[in-house]
Amino acid sequence: MKTMKVTFHVNDEKVTLHVRPYETLLETLRERLDLIGAKEACGVGACGACTVVVNGIPLRSCLVLTPEVDGASITTIEGLGKDGKLHPLQEAFMEKGAVQCGFCTSGMILTAKALLDRNKRPTKKEIIKTISSNICRCTGYKKIVEAVEKAAEKSV
Amino acid sequence: MILPKFEYKSAENIAKAIAFYERYNGKIRYLAGGTDLIPLVKLRLSTPMAIIDLKEIEGLKAISHQGGWLVIGANVTLFELKNNNTVKEYFPALYESLDATSCETLQMRGTIGGNILQNTRCLLYNQSLEWRTARGFCFKMGGETCNVVPNARACFSNYCSDNALSLMALSASVKLVGPRGERKMPLEKIFSGDGRNPFTLMPGEILTEILIPMKRSKGAYEKLRVRDSIDYPLLGVGVSTKGNAGRVCVGGIGPSPLVYNLKDINESAFKDVAEKAYSDARPVSNTTLSPDYRKKMVSVLIQRASKKALQEGK
Amino acid sequence: MENEFTTVGKRVVRSDSLAKVTGEACYTADIKLPGMLAAKVLRSPYPHAKILRIDLKRALKVPGVKAAISGFDTYGIKWGVFRYTKDHPMLPTDKVRYIGEDVAAVAAVDEETALEALSHIRVDYEPLPAVFDPEEAMQEGAPQIHKEFTNNINIHVNIDVGKVDEAMNKAFLVREDTFKAAGEAYAMKEPYAVVASYKNGFLDLWMPNAGPHVRAKALSNLLKMPLNRVRIRHINSGGAFGGRSEVSPGDLIASFLSIKAGRPVKLVLSREENATSTRQVHDIIATVKTGMKKDGTIVAKDYRAVYDGGAYSSTGPIATSIPFYVYEECYRFRNVRYNGYRVFTNKGIRGMYGCHGRAFLAGNEAQMDFMAKELGMDPVEIRLKNGLTSGEVTATKSKITSCGLKETIQKASEKTGFKKKWARTQRFKGIGMGCVAMMCGFPMGFRSGSSCYVKMNEDGQVTLVTGVIDNGQGNESLAIQVASEVLGVPMEDINLVNADTEATNLDPGSYSQASTFVGANAVKVACENARRKIVAIAAQKLGVKEADIGLKDRMAYSRKTPDNKMRISWAAREAFFRGEPIVGTGSFFPKIDFEREWVSRPWGQMAGTFSFGTSVAEVAIDSETGKVSIPHFTAAHDCGRPINPMAVEGQMEGSIQQAGVATIMEGNLWEGGFLLNPDLLEYKVPLACDMPDIETIIVSSRDPEGPFGAKEGGLTIRMNAHSAVACAVSNATGTVFRELPLTPDRVLNALQRKKGVKR
Repeated sequence: MKTMKVTFHVNDEKVTLHVRPYETLLETLRERLDLIGAKEACGVGACGACTVVVNGIPLRSCLVLTPEVDGASITTIEGLGKDGKLHPLQEAFMEKGAVQCGFCTSGMILTAKALLDRNKRPTKKEIIKTISSNICRCTGYKKIVEAVEKAAEKSV
Repeated sequence: MILPKFEYKSAENIAKAIAFYERYNGKIRYLAGGTDLIPLVKLRLSTPMAIIDLKEIEGLKAISHQGGWLVIGANVTLFELKNNNTVKEYFPALYESLDATSCETLQMRGTIGGNILQNTRCLLYNQSLEWRTARGFCFKMGGETCNVVPNARACFSNYCSDNALSLMALSASVKLVGPRGERKMPLEKIFSGDGRNPFTLMPGEILTEILIPMKRSKGAYEKLRVRDSIDYPLLGVGVSTKGNAGRVCVGGIGPSPLVYNLKDINESAFKDVAEKAYSDARPVSNTTLSPDYRKKMVSVLIQRASKKALQEGK
Repeated sequence: MENEFTTVGKRVVRSDSLAKVTGEACYTADIKLPGMLAAKVLRSPYPHAKILRIDLKRALKVPGVKAAISGFDTYGIKWGVFRYTKDHPMLPTDKVRYIGEDVAAVAAVDEETALEALSHIRVDYEPLPAVFDPEEAMQEGAPQIHKEFTNNINIHVNIDVGKVDEAMNKAFLVREDTFKAAGEAYAMKEPYAVVASYKNGFLDLWMPNAGPHVRAKALSNLLKMPLNRVRIRHINSGGAFGGRSEVSPGDLIASFLSIKAGRPVKLVLSREENATSTRQVHDIIATVKTGMKKDGTIVAKDYRAVYDGGAYSSTGPIATSIPFYVYEECYRFRNVRYNGYRVFTNKGIRGMYGCHGRAFLAGNEAQMDFMAKELGMDPVEIRLKNGLTSGEVTATKSKITSCGLKETIQKASEKTGFKKKWARTQRFKGIGMGCVAMMCGFPMGFRSGSSCYVKMNEDGQVTLVTGVIDNGQGNESLAIQVASEVLGVPMEDINLVNADTEATNLDPGSYSQASTFVGANAVKVACENARRKIVAIAAQKLGVKEADIGLKDRMAYSRKTPDNKMRISWAAREAFFRGEPIVGTGSFFPKIDFEREWVSRPWGQMAGTFSFGTSVAEVAIDSETGKVSIPHFTAAHDCGRPINPMAVEGQMEGSIQQAGVATIMEGNLWEGGFLLNPDLLEYKVPLACDMPDIETIIVSSRDPEGPFGAKEGGLTIRMNAHSAVACAVSNATGTVFRELPLTPDRVLNALQRKKGVKR
């Protein structure tokens, strides 16, 4: 089957690729671009481990065909820190102990990032609602909520 | 989980989308948010030759007021719609069902059109090809039996859109455009009642708009689920009232929702509907909670939603 | 003086978290090796069937396929944790015993090709009658799943202490209940994956695992390769929870395929495969009969517990025993009889689980509450009355050396106002308490201990080499933190080499709660041995006595005159000059009775120490729908001294999710041999919005043997949070629960049984 030419920005870098029309964004990020921070945990959009931010919106990359993101601007966990500095969310996740096995962490942080980008001071309730898009098996979410709260304070 | 082979085409307008439909002899699936379609394709429950992306069609992304209707483009995402002021002010039932749909991230991707046209679900259907092959194909997979109810003649898969229920309660209509032209009909008319092929859409037809009469309403949406996010409804009830008339829609049980019209809005009228719906609902054991229980909850949720609607009225 | 520690006891940032928040942490599926192939497994579509023939020829002809195997290409050695449980062929050649069992596999240039090739493998089966219910499986005439195990009874653990019948007859109050619970899914976030690379006679493997050394030994046996040629390498693990302790068919499959193809092979399971074909949790039916004196003293316990074991033994003898032991290590039972049966059925294999035994444990606790009420007591009093204390010996002869049970009960009940809430008659609200003890390590022969090796480099930086493995709990950070404390250098100066069977020494792994008590203890001893060498040089150079030397912030100093100090790195260089570099080895071996055997000799010292915990759940029930919500959850855990309180809290909070909230939503659903919810949509892992407000209380005690007084960190809550929720729901409905999970339909039935009347 013919491949398709797709151009988009990942973490501020322009990439042009020839992909299979039935290739998911998750596959493209992981297999072609070595951006392994996005994880496949369910493959059908039920868990959020593969979340990346596309044009400001958190998307389950396992449900997105790569041709769909032609022209888009994508942020993955690898592109969150700038100039060698961590994003406040990354710092807060570390400091608050919000990371255990780490398999949900990228998706969780990116989901929270999209929230903070549209709502600088979310309430605790809003944070819980937003991160209820993502399954974490380890933490009980308490420290994740605290970390997002802390990052929101910091980034104001 | 990898996808099977298919081609991808992005349509700039409806005519092009339909042209693709014809070019591939109908062996296509239209793609909007993909939150329902992509899992189905991954599970090999749908194996199109091509996927026709409708997201770039400009006209389908708008929300507008036209001659007494709120016209919602099918590609408006659930999240956008939830945050629309008219929806919040005029259609509380719809706001609540949007808010109760899956989770925020999927609301941001899923579209209202796709949400309405999502396929019906069954614990024994939404499984991998290997799983289903081992179990044997049921009606909905092209087989000869129902795997849930022995000797059944019909498919009992559940229609799990939250928003179709509140939209029907609001007497919404839909606009469909297909190879044979355009038509408009009340939303409840899109259901065939047959779980195998739950919609009456004609081959190649595209749901382009949802139209809600622009009348301030009172209402509520009640949803039965185990977790308070991500989960599909095990039962959903949409109630909406305008003036003295009202509508109650029950879904999540069987392939097509139940719709009840009320001429009078009072407690006893709702109670009658609750009783009627309780006897009409025929849940089977094809999802996570017991059928008896889900049946019992039909009247509970109707009374709850109606109470909310009535209270709002005071 | 107690708290003069620099890092121990502090809320330090875990050493592994930086790589995890930046996405750089590498997990098995992330590995890319030159020439790597993708593997796929063909699985059984039958719950029970004879294998007549497996033909791989056509699959091998698919372009891009580099190797294909079935059981006929292996040595046919059966795996078992114990000599008497060697029943799992990994790739069977006689018959398949559950849907999803591994039958054959291919390695190809990519996943698409491998999938295509699977469809060309031909397997001829002769279906056999199957059995799915453990009680049915035990009946005469039921289909026999393994010919070596009559009536499908895989394991029978019989414990009989004291005079149960006599005591029961004399008891003032006797009650018997039967409790059921559906097995759970481990649902670790990372689906199982393995990479195998065979080169020059050496096999390197990466996979999420809970004990690399144990796994390497198993693979060396199954592959008939010398142990030194099978090397399990370090890799991050996306959760284990007890489900990744044993060698898995995937390990063997990837290994054989790599050997055959001469190229590295990666096998990544789908979510469904992870659920159906790795490990599941036992469904349990537990009958609990209890006799009490008028004053609430438990005088007799008589148990019958049936564990649905699925198709193979796995950790059967342990799984059949643990629910009993964590309970008898908590309460005083003078007369107790336990008959635990693990029974084969034609379902997926069941393993140990962090929350294992919920029907048994929650059942005991809920029954106790109702008996207490009859005697005019409350749950707090009855638990304090029967709870073990330091210095006591359990029914099966384990001595409790340190015990904070009483404190956990008191603190949790004070914090929640338990007694008042329990006694009130507010409809549809309930409060419940669960207690349990946890062994820190258990007998595993010479593998029960851990050894560690540490060296100081010329710049004063440290390389720490230990078999301790991290499945997300924070064990790596724990080892570094302990080393940092002993050696007086900050955590960032310590490089960790761990869980790599070539480099690291034997360690029990992280599945018997041994990582802190055993693994970190070995790290401490090794570092202390290295420390002595630093201290000797520093004392000489600073002209003070060795006893006066302290190590802190990369400096060696005189405690009396702190200005008299030198860099630790100077001592390291001096040591190199002398040709005696600063290195240390150390090991820790717990004081366990190694004659103890799970089936044949179920008595003697179980573990070096035990942790204790109490959970309190507060629930509210929607009276119309039966849906339970858990607004508050309080957990108190005696973990000895917490090395990193933040990590301990994290374990407790995760436990409240995985055991506590799970009690109202998690359970595998079956239709015969078909798992109906092998996904993350219909299998309900609780979400943030389903969680209670959580209060964690660390009851800090000092274990005499533990490293800095530490014991395991949080597992008691994983083993009693379900009890707290089940007791709270029973309290609210006024009737002892019968079956878990407490889904709305079941709770509504319970309410209707009692018509919503609380008492």
